[in-house]
Amino acid sequence: MTPADARNRWQKHRAEAGALPADIRIAVAGSMTAEPLEPYLGDYLLRRAFRNPRVSFGPFGQIPQICRDYKSFFTEDTDAIVLLWRLEDMFAAALEDPAALLEALDAFAAAVRDLRENFAGTVIVSIPPYPSTAAFDPSSLDQPAFGAALHARAVERWISRMQQISRIKLLDLGALERKLGTDAAQDPRKWFLYRQPWTEAFWHAAGRQLGRIVAAETRSAKKCIVLDADNTLWGGIIGEDGMEGIALGEDFPGSAYRAFQKHLLHLKNKGVLLAVASRNNEADFFEVLDTHDAMVLKRGDFAAFQVHWKAKVDSIRTIAKTLNIGTDAMVFIDDSAKELAEVQERLPEVVCLHAPGDAADLANLLVGSDLFDLAEVTEEDKKRTGMIIAETARRELQDTVSEEDFKASLGLEMTVFAAQKQHIARVAQLINKTNQFNLTTRRRRQDEVEKLAGDPRCRVIGMELKDKYGDYGLVGVAILEKKETTCVIDTLLMSCRALGRDAETAFIGVLAEQAAALGCKTIEGCYIPTAKNAVVKGFYQKHGMTFDAARDVWTMPSTATADLPAHIRVTRIFGDAP
Amino acid sequence: MSDALISLFSEVLDVPAESLNDNTAPGNTPQWDSLAAMRLVAAIEETFAVRLSSREIMKMSSIGFARRTLLDKNVKLDDAG
Repeated sequence: MTPADARNRWQKHRAEAGALPADIRIAVAGSMTAEPLEPYLGDYLLRRAFRNPRVSFGPFGQIPQICRDYKSFFTEDTDAIVLLWRLEDMFAAALEDPAALLEALDAFAAAVRDLRENFAGTVIVSIPPYPSTAAFDPSSLDQPAFGAALHARAVERWISRMQQISRIKLLDLGALERKLGTDAAQDPRKWFLYRQPWTEAFWHAAGRQLGRIVAAETRSAKKCIVLDADNTLWGGIIGEDGMEGIALGEDFPGSAYRAFQKHLLHLKNKGVLLAVASRNNEADFFEVLDTHDAMVLKRGDFAAFQVHWKAKVDSIRTIAKTLNIGTDAMVFIDDSAKELAEVQERLPEVVCLHAPGDAADLANLLVGSDLFDLAEVTEEDKKRTGMIIAETARRELQDTVSEEDFKASLGLEMTVFAAQKQHIARVAQLINKTNQFNLTTRRRRQDEVEKLAGDPRCRVIGMELKDKYGDYGLVGVAILEKKETTCVIDTLLMSCRALGRDAETAFIGVLAEQAAALGCKTIEGCYIPTAKNAVVKGFYQKHGMTFDAARDVWTMPSTATADLPAHIRVTRIFGDAP
Repeated sequence: MSDALISLFSEVLDVPAESLNDNTAPGNTPQWDSLAAMRLVAAIEETFAVRLSSREIMKMSSIGFARRTLLDKNVKLDDAG
């Protein structure tokens, strides 16, 4: 798609949208004229299923003023503010003096911090590209020692300052210039005529990249890639060519299949699930997977396998069911146009990608793709495949033995601890999304949780669980508040993932111990019913607490050593615990 | 008059082709503002595969001027649109 296509589509949309209300409002402030961005950003967002994006522009060259007082420039309902700036526009006077430049960057960073504190929406800030002034001439002989070194220092300082402010999204303008080639990205005529340095091709690329950042906030990423095996994970057909005959190794074309596998592994490590749907003999396929030296992906990197001679549509449906995700969150990659067409017809919501016949092209199939864009990758995302494999193994065991034997054989280990800085994001995530096993359903922002964790009258407690199959992660949260000699359970919740293990019984026991450690005689909590938390209605009663109808709370004495379930080994990490 | 250049201006300015002619200029066309001027240059360069000098861009103060500039560059305008 050319820049002209994007501009024409945007213009057509603008003519037709009429009085349609905007569903996303983006305000852009530039150190240069930034208006050429509008059609490209707008058109990209239309293609990401926004109905009527609105892109507006602040006066050029006034970024610091806009940071200090954005409301004087942009409307209250703005969803995202974008700051596009270059070193040579904003700091021309300091540009050749390293100390002055770093100082100026720090002052600018303070202005961005002001904006972040006063504006609740998304803030996107550019990383400045390599300056296009005479002193930075890329072909000058002193460029490596001067220009390259200074730009690198400035960029490093800027990124670290931005990372010290929470929730700033960065856009690397220099990387976009490099991708196109500087000569194809810059247009000196336009700088002199319009105060903007770039070509339409550059603005096109910048609009898409900015649109990806904006869309990642609210548009869900694909969760799973379903892969064909022959001519997709390796070259050739295992059933015909055999272990020696397939292309997979250090030489082309085998090296290109390895490169593709490395890209898949990278995505898997960011939380994308990989699955195989291959029409093959099971034994042939697993022989390659488990014994071929050149396979980058191992059995443990895949969340599900469907290797047989049945239709791919059925395989994809089965994988979706196994992984408990919708088929609309799936991407299917196959070299056969016929298989792709069949899946596309019967499951139109699946994104179908053709594995190109030229292996060199296959290696780049997913480079630059926006299908897996996440606003933020959490630790839980990174562990996803391992957790799913563990859960599959547990389910197999559960089907063969009694409930008691099942729990006993898991080898459960629980760690209960005072939440530290590194736990706060996950604790806040659980507080805000746990619906079922949640006694009070009190929602809190991350900064509120952080404040409670530092309050001496409170305890923000996390609970992690693992067993012989793997890690469940941080799955339980409690917030205790000391009120004289009573310890009040403000919040008590557990992720569904940890249910059916008696973990909740061990957890409330440790909380009763903590109440004693805090110097309280009793511990009490209330059950606040919601549409979704009936599962915990009888929780306090089941754990021996008595109901005080007058105050609508459940209460029991605190205890120095609680009686915990025998099949869970509990570790307590509290500074002042017994 | 309808040719490739008129349809280009019509599309970029979002003005019907019938109301455009060689005398159309920023002064008599409110849609032809400074941002539209930027878009016009981009569209002309892409559509006719030419590169305009900054002097030519500055001089492009009517559709007639644009036509002369392109004809000087041997661009054929009359067989399309």
